[in-house]
Order: sequence, then structure tokens, then C-alpha cells
Amino acid sequence: MKLLSIWLGKSISLISRVLNLGNGSTWPGHLALKINKHFISSLLKNSKTQIILIAGTNGKTTTSLLIKTILEHNKKSTIHNSSGANLLNGIASSLVLQSSLKGKLKADYAIFEVDENAFSKVLLEMDPQYIVLLNLFRDQLDRYGEVANVAKKWATALQEEPTINLILNADDPQIAYIGQQLFNHKKTEYFGLQQKGLDQPEHAADSTYCPRCGTKLSYKNVYYSHLGNWECSHCGLKQPQTAIERFTYMPLEGLYNTYNTLAAVLLCKSLGLSEKQIEEGLQAFKPAFGRQEKLNYLGKQLEFFLVKNPTGFNQTIQTIKHLKARTILLALNDRYADGTDVSWIWDVDFEKLADFADNIIITGDRAYDMGIRLKYSQKEFKIKNLKFKIELDLNSAVQTALELTSPTETLYILPTYTAMLDIRKIVSGKKIL
Amino acid sequence: MNYKLTLGWLYPDLMSTYGDRGNIIILQKRCEWRGIKAEIDPITVGANDQQLKNVDFILMGGAEDRQQEIVGKDLETGKDKILHELIEKGIPGLYICGAYQFLGKYYKEADGTIINGLGIFDVYTENPGPNHPRLIGNMVVDSSVIVSEAEQSIPQETASSSIVKVRTLRNDEILLGFENHGGRTYLGKEVKPFAKVIKGFGNNGQDGTEGAIYKNSIGTYLHGPILAKNPGLADYLIQTAINIKYNKYINLDPLDDSLEEEARNVIASRLKLQL
Repeated sequence: MKLLSIWLGKSISLISRVLNLGNGSTWPGHLALKINKHFISSLLKNSKTQIILIAGTNGKTTTSLLIKTILEHNKKSTIHNSSGANLLNGIASSLVLQSSLKGKLKADYAIFEVDENAFSKVLLEMDPQYIVLLNLFRDQLDRYGEVANVAKKWATALQEEPTINLILNADDPQIAYIGQQLFNHKKTEYFGLQQKGLDQPEHAADSTYCPRCGTKLSYKNVYYSHLGNWECSHCGLKQPQTAIERFTYMPLEGLYNTYNTLAAVLLCKSLGLSEKQIEEGLQAFKPAFGRQEKLNYLGKQLEFFLVKNPTGFNQTIQTIKHLKARTILLALNDRYADGTDVSWIWDVDFEKLADFADNIIITGDRAYDMGIRLKYSQKEFKIKNLKFKIELDLNSAVQTALELTSPTETLYILPTYTAMLDIRKIVSGKKIL
Repeated sequence: MNYKLTLGWLYPDLMSTYGDRGNIIILQKRCEWRGIKAEIDPITVGANDQQLKNVDFILMGGAEDRQQEIVGKDLETGKDKILHELIEKGIPGLYICGAYQFLGKYYKEADGTIINGLGIFDVYTENPGPNHPRLIGNMVVDSSVIVSEAEQSIPQETASSSIVKVRTLRNDEILLGFENHGGRTYLGKEVKPFAKVIKGFGNNGQDGTEGAIYKNSIGTYLHGPILAKNPGLADYLIQTAINIKYNKYINLDPLDDSLEEEARNVIASRLKLQL
């Protein structure tokens, strides 16, 4: 049954790639699981591959890729579930494609990014040695439910697995509290920042109340959203001791990527790599598609920043401000993978973007909704003199934005997921799966 | 005359899901762009009673269950009574999703647990359990009912004056937004529905009603946020707030809402409706 799953899965994947049907990345796994419900566990049971799971609202793909790059640079073989295929079928697919025809896994490490809601199910199918929990932000409530409930489910699932090494974000009260409840876990390590931050949480902050007793938390420093050096003055719960707060080399811009990098570094240290080996690995890092990915098109430099939720978007605005962005293309879609509800853009601080951007082009299925949001981010209202322009057609939007970008500057593209795939197709001439 | 409104935003750090704060941004800008002063006053856990008593408008958004629990405890300290008085006095307000349910009599969870509400709206909400899907999607409703409410609330002595005119909601009587709720709300006799469902589910997916209106307080499942694509409703709330505070109906200078028109048409044509 296991071998049948693998053969059929591999064939399906080949056929779908040859015919360019797209989405080849989850079908093989879908099929493998149809044939054998426990395909994942039966394949992993007999392998020596060590399993690393990465979960959290933001940064899963980047953190997985950071770990993969460091490990491969240090001559370890890895497999991972690419292209954000982070449900059971995506994980099964990566196993189908990356195991031999005899059903053997040869990799030293399997790195799986896991969807918030799939986490408990995935844990039932495998025994990971390491789990990294990055953060929990309000994302799409229609799909993920409430932040506090997700944290509770994770803690319950982990209660049964005391031998797993946990790498947790100390600065996120919800994530830290998961570790603080798991008394039986022998090895739990925390990453976090120690530097000057804000005094108060920003508006998009979600979990600024104590996860144990519900009192408003006090912060010495807030880094972004609800991440910071926190404690509860009522019940005394506070940020756990961190094992890492900084590193010698940061491959990506933005505080959120500092967290991703610290998580990856701490994990690799636990695996026994030296700081030097890790740093060299990080220097070889190339971003995942759409995540600070740089491309050239028609002689101009472009950089993609995938945007998915208020916290990530606010961080992106900070980052591109720091990079002295002048021309920006915003692309808002509302297809399933983007989230069908676009109201989250009102939790993004576009007032800050309006402060520094000279040219803003808006496109996507819900371009007008983005236009309304920007209209209200202006201090003075002059419809004839708006600082932004709406171009419904993606192609013309890209062209217009490029024309406004001088040869010495970069066009910053901030798209939601499906808009990113479409724009990337225009500028690279390729489809990605 | 220089008008000034204090826009009270209840529990911004606890009850604000789905961009609810957009409503307060929109109201403030639409006031300021017409020379009406508008100050946003965030009122959260521990705020004093006087702060709440001073507001001319109230926004309360949706929340996750745990947050709602914290809010419940804070209101019990006496703010619940003040809120009730403000609503009875006609202070206009928008109570979205979780806040709307919370102003009702009770919320019955899927397992039968009853969470008491503030009992200001004569409505109750029940969650039918995990076998019933959440009610999610773009939504179109007809709110012409609130125009007649506005007519009723005009003070008699000014109603006959030539400068006073009831603002109708133009095509904005048709409101567009997005809903996402597990609970089903049922209306009692003391409240009127806020609107009639044209597309979507509304209060309970069965009786064709959406939201509830009591005095000038609107409870609704529409977010998006609700005022983003419904500028007419935003202006109606501003006029009502001024009417209550200054006992005077004013006409608002028109603003260019062409982006809103376009955004409305995108959704309408997807739903095969003509506005």
C-alpha cells in the first residue's frame, strides 16, 4: 500500500507538471492519503530522518528555508514541504516526491512547516524531534478561529509529547505560555529580543492581556504587535529566560525576520552546529518566493513583500520605509488563499505609508477597497490630487508602476498571495507551483 | 457654528476584529473634511465613568470569546448602566458582531452554556453547534427602515423649518459588507430589524432580517468595516450625533465618494445585483 501510494503519487505529479495543470504539489499527497490514511506515519516509522516542525502565523516559510539553507550548507540532506503546502496532504506530497521508489527516505532532516489548524493532526502522524513555534497573530478568523483557542490546542497536543525539543518565542505571551504550562518537557528553549522598543503595543496587537489570568500585561519594550518584554503585574507570569537574543549575521531586513533568524539559529545550535557553521549557512541564504524576493524586469529592480495580515503588513511598511521606498505597487485579491474578507486592511497603518511613499499604484480584484482605505489615510482630502492611482488590470498596473520607478530605485510590490503569483508570472514569465 | 463630536470607541484593544476601527477612522475624517471637529476617545478596561458619559457616538466591535469575558467584567463595575442610559438617550452607536450579540439578552453556546448579555437590545443569540456552518460571505441588505427612524426623531419645532431636511440614504439604503458569525440572532418585539437581507444570511439565515435598531443604536453583523462601502450610513450617523448633541439637523457638504461607488459595483456585479 505504501509503495502503491508513492508510485501513483509520483506519476500524478509528473503528469500534472507535464500538462502544466498547476498545483502539482498537493495532489500526490492527497492521493497517497486516500490509498493509505496513515501513509505519512508508515513511511516515517522506518526512517532515520529527524523531523523538525515549524508553526506560527507569520514566518513559517522563511524560517523553514533558513534552517534548510544552513543545514544543506553544512552537508546535511533535507526534505521539506515547499510552496506553503502545509496541510497533511502537502506534507504527504513532499514525502511522495522525495522518497525513493522503494519507499525509503534518505534525508538527514525533514523540515515541515505546518498550518495552525493542522498542527494536532500532524503530531498524530509523526514523532518530530524538534518543534519551533514562532508566533500567533490574528489571521483569518474564518479559517483559523481565535488565537487563544489555537494556543490551547497546541498546548494540549504537546502535553502528550514530553520528549520533543521545543524552540519557542519568549516575546509572544501566547507562545511562551505554552512552554510554561508543559512542566514535563525536558528541553524547552526560548528565543527573543533584548533591545530598545516601543513603550506601548500598537493597534493591531492581539494578545496584550495575560494568557493565564486575563489582566492587561505590562511591557518594558514592545517590538511589534504584542511581541516584547512582557510581564503580568497581577499573577506574576512573565517572559521566560531566553537562550538567544542576537546573532552576528542577519540575512533579511525587518524585525520579523530577526525573530525568524533567531529561531533558525537556536534550532541549528541544538542540532550541534557551531556559530561559524550557522553564519556561513546564513550567508548562502536566498529568500523564498515573494518574501523579500528580488527580481529584475525590463531593466528595473523589483522586490516582493507578500502581505497576508495586519501585523505582517505593518512590519513590511516599517521595513520598506527603512529601505527608502518611493514607488509602491499594492495588489489586493480576495480569493480563497488570500482570505475572502478584505476588512483586515483597516487594521494596517496606511497613514505611515502615506507619509513617505511618492507613488502608490493599486491593483487586484479588490483594488477599490484598498483605494478607500488609502483615501481615509490622507490628512487632507482632495480626490483630484490623490497620492495613489488605481489600475485594475495587473499588466498595466505593473507597467505604470515601472514607469514611475527610476532606474536607480527599486519598485516595491506588496501583494496578497494569489496576486503575488499572478504578478510574479508577469515579471518572470514562469508559473510557480 | 462650530460643531464638535467625541467619538467613543469602546475597548479598542479587546473588541476590534475585522478592521472595526475603520469605522471610527471614517467617521473622524468625514467630520474633519467638513470642518466638524471630531475627537476619538478610546475607552478600555479601567477608564473612568465620566469618559464614557461624555461621548456623542459609540463604536463597539467584535471580539474573541476570551476578550469578551474581560470586557464583561469591566462593564459590571457600572459602565453597563451608563451605556444603557446613553443608548436610551439616543446617542447613536454602531455595535458590530460580537458587540451586537453582547447587547442582547443572552448568548447560548453550542454546549448549552448561557452567557448573559447586557439586555439592552431585545434579541438573543444561539450557536447551533459545529455541525452548522458559520455564516460567512459578502452581504447586501436594504436598510430603508432606518430612514423612517430618522424622520421620527426630528424635533417637531425644527421639522417645519425650510433649512431642515431629512437626509435620505440615497442608494446607500442598500448597504454592502461582509459577515462572519457562528451565532444565530433572533429578534424580540422591542426592537426593529436594522435591514432586510438581499444577499447573504443576516441575523439567522432564516427570517430575512439583518441586525437590530433601537433608538439610534444599530447592532449588525455587517463588517467590512460597515462604513467603508456605505458612506451614506456614516453621514447619517454624524448627522444624528449632531442632532442629539445640538438639537439641530444640519446638511453635510457632499464628499466625492466615487471610489465607494466603484467598490460597491464590484461586489454587486459579482452577486449579479444592480445598485
